[in-house]
Amino acid sequence: MTEFLHRHDVLIIGAGLGGLRACLEVAGKGLDCGVISKVHPLRSHSVAAQGGVNAALGNAPGGENDNWEAHAFDTVKGSDYLCDQDAVEILCRNAPSAVYEMEHFGTVFSRDENGKIAQRPFGGAGFPRTCYAADRTGHNLLHTLYERLQEHEVTFYEEYFVTSLVIGKDRCSGCTALRIMDGTVHGFSSGSTLIATGGFGRIYSRSTNALINTGETEYHAFRAGVALRDMEFVQFHPTSLHGTNILISEAARGEGGYLLNSEGDRFMRAYAPDAMELAPRDVVARAMTREIEDGRGIGDGYLHLDLRHLGKSLIRERLPGIRLICMDFAGIDPVREPVPVQPAQHYSMGGIAVDTRGSTSLPGLYAAGECSCISVHGANRLGGNSLLETLVFGKLVADTIIDDNPGTLPRDDRVVHEAVSREETRMNAILSGDKGEDVHRIQSDLQETMFHHFGIFRNEHSMKQGLELIGILEERFSRASISYRGRIYNQALVRVLELEGMIILARVLAQSALARTESRGSHTRTDHPGRDDRNFLVHSEARMKEGSIEIGYTPVRLTSYPPKERSY
Amino acid sequence: MILKVFRYDPGSGEQRYDRFPLMHRPGMTVLEALFLVASEQDDSLAFRYSCRGAVCGTCAVLVNHVPRLACRTRLEPLLRGEDLLALAPHPGLELGEAYSPDEEVLVEPLPNMPLIKDLVVDQEGFFSKYRMISPVFRPSGELPGKEQLMYPSAVRELETYTNCILCASCYAACPVNAADDEYIGPAALAKLYRFAIDPREGDHGSRFARADTPHGWWACRFFTNCAKVCPKGVTPNVAIGKARGVLEGRGKDSRDKEHSPATDSHVPRE
Repeated sequence: MTEFLHRHDVLIIGAGLGGLRACLEVAGKGLDCGVISKVHPLRSHSVAAQGGVNAALGNAPGGENDNWEAHAFDTVKGSDYLCDQDAVEILCRNAPSAVYEMEHFGTVFSRDENGKIAQRPFGGAGFPRTCYAADRTGHNLLHTLYERLQEHEVTFYEEYFVTSLVIGKDRCSGCTALRIMDGTVHGFSSGSTLIATGGFGRIYSRSTNALINTGETEYHAFRAGVALRDMEFVQFHPTSLHGTNILISEAARGEGGYLLNSEGDRFMRAYAPDAMELAPRDVVARAMTREIEDGRGIGDGYLHLDLRHLGKSLIRERLPGIRLICMDFAGIDPVREPVPVQPAQHYSMGGIAVDTRGSTSLPGLYAAGECSCISVHGANRLGGNSLLETLVFGKLVADTIIDDNPGTLPRDDRVVHEAVSREETRMNAILSGDKGEDVHRIQSDLQETMFHHFGIFRNEHSMKQGLELIGILEERFSRASISYRGRIYNQALVRVLELEGMIILARVLAQSALARTESRGSHTRTDHPGRDDRNFLVHSEARMKEGSIEIGYTPVRLTSYPPKERSY
Repeated sequence: MILKVFRYDPGSGEQRYDRFPLMHRPGMTVLEALFLVASEQDDSLAFRYSCRGAVCGTCAVLVNHVPRLACRTRLEPLLRGEDLLALAPHPGLELGEAYSPDEEVLVEPLPNMPLIKDLVVDQEGFFSKYRMISPVFRPSGELPGKEQLMYPSAVRELETYTNCILCASCYAACPVNAADDEYIGPAALAKLYRFAIDPREGDHGSRFARADTPHGWWACRFFTNCAKVCPKGVTPNVAIGKARGVLEGRGKDSRDKEHSPATDSHVPRE
């Protein structure tokens, strides 16, 4: 029998904002909850979120008439009408209470002179709606939730890397995980399992994401028969720091920053004359790429984000984190010099298909946050809506789990034991394999392939080439090997396991993108430049069928916002 | 250049230094150099990482005897003899291995914590002190259906401490910490102070009292290594000094009315 079997009513994989918000709710109800994370919870990528969280509080001057319906409209329009409008209504209706709740839990939001939570303008928003804690909003929210959990009985499994979901009798019975510290394989048996592991941005070479964002749990859900929805929609953030691609928050433009090309021109006037720099991210990222491709880029292909006119005191007060990032990583002070920026992969609108309660098609398995697709972001997410999604749907999925009464759900320890033995065998095989292909080289080739063939502008010819390259990478991966054979803190082993999922996610993304012969939101086809509502006002859903990937479609749910032409 | 890296094999207990020759690119960081070693020379090298943007606090190590985030520390200034920090003697300095500063960069695990493998240390002791100060926000009174008001001046003061990313650099650099296992340490005390001055909390006295012990506020000897190594500009030494002042009846308790409309009246429910 398995040496390491852990039993919990509720198992949460991922300890960022979505996972911890759910955990707080579940633990608050007295359910036995275990949280598994490949890093310490405070190292989760949520910590890096900068600009803020949207809620129609109406605190800022000019925001008095804001309401949740206006927030919903902006979100729907921003999504290029691909989101499910009932889910968006849940998101926006619950936004104010989600923000107030975090304030009550202790988050130190920035304040206006009256002591209210301050709000700033953000891209694609009709009102200044983004609540923030300077430009460290994710950090402040994540620390608050983790602090709050200190008074609850929760078991944290830190630095455990999930290697598979366990499926028994047509339901999810838990998972297996590698304890990185000593290389042992552990089994987790649970009534309910929530995946809240964030995105998979690291399949791209230019990404703002943490290095840990490799998407393996989405791959495990996919392998278990759950659909991956809308995977072709990848957000490229307009302003990542040139070179390292570290995020420079949209707040920099929200506070009034300009984007300039090599001629010193605020080129956004040609692309979004009303919204200018505060058009949604897909619009700005495309405009920037066009400028660079048309020869108005600077250096080897970047543009300038100019904050100098904002003045030192505003930059120090509201953008201290990005100032530090510019100084640490580019050696420049945005108070005195423009910031060199370029678009980079930032967010995945697609993910594990869930219903509006956060349930997947597999009983016992739930998902929330970036790893899921519920779908509130459709074809393009608005800045400030992802932190909101983690808070609102983290709580909502916890309510669903509580309703499903996980303490009484069938457990299947036997199938967990079997899975552990299977995974043990697999680990041993990797650790004793013959010398073969270098893992790092395969990974960097994959990242370049995705950037060049499935980036901001796409076309059939290039994507088909990209798919061929992915096929070669799959073949090379079958011969991948590592040199270090030890069990203790074997990060080479972790990287092989990560890469396995990254390649499959890349293929799903590629096939979904090739099949969508229209341009919508972040998915821009130069060979199909128009939006095609007649054929493609639908979500793509990729499923594994007999070893190959099938792409199907489900309708978008509309409520109050009929599709219109989208201009800014 | 040579990346000189501390190695620890938990199986045999062997400790040694490996010298990895590297071609470094302009702007290359210590973290990038570690990845280059892992991908091209030795994939058994263990080191922690996550955000690579100096916000998550995962990758703190000793670089040339000083605790730093590997992702934010560039090689070139170190090799040019710039980017020096004058610290009071601490274990990282005292036990430090020799290195030749113009061609080597020395990378070692943070001191004051048990080794796991190579550069990876067990941070349980560090986080147990975080838990010890009870870092749970306790607002005064009923929670209103809106935010509790708080003036920007109070936020500014709080931010000095909420900016802490718990990277444990201060914990590693603190000479008191090295000598006193039970010392709560700079990061946890700064965190405690953050709650003690939050104008939305009711019972500030018990926050200050929590570390009113020989291993709490009173153990600090103001070497100020903590503030010098902090990658986020947090000043635990200042927090500790102010807390002592409050306990001695000198300083002002920050629950000063002028900072805090919330202590007088809550915004009514809608």
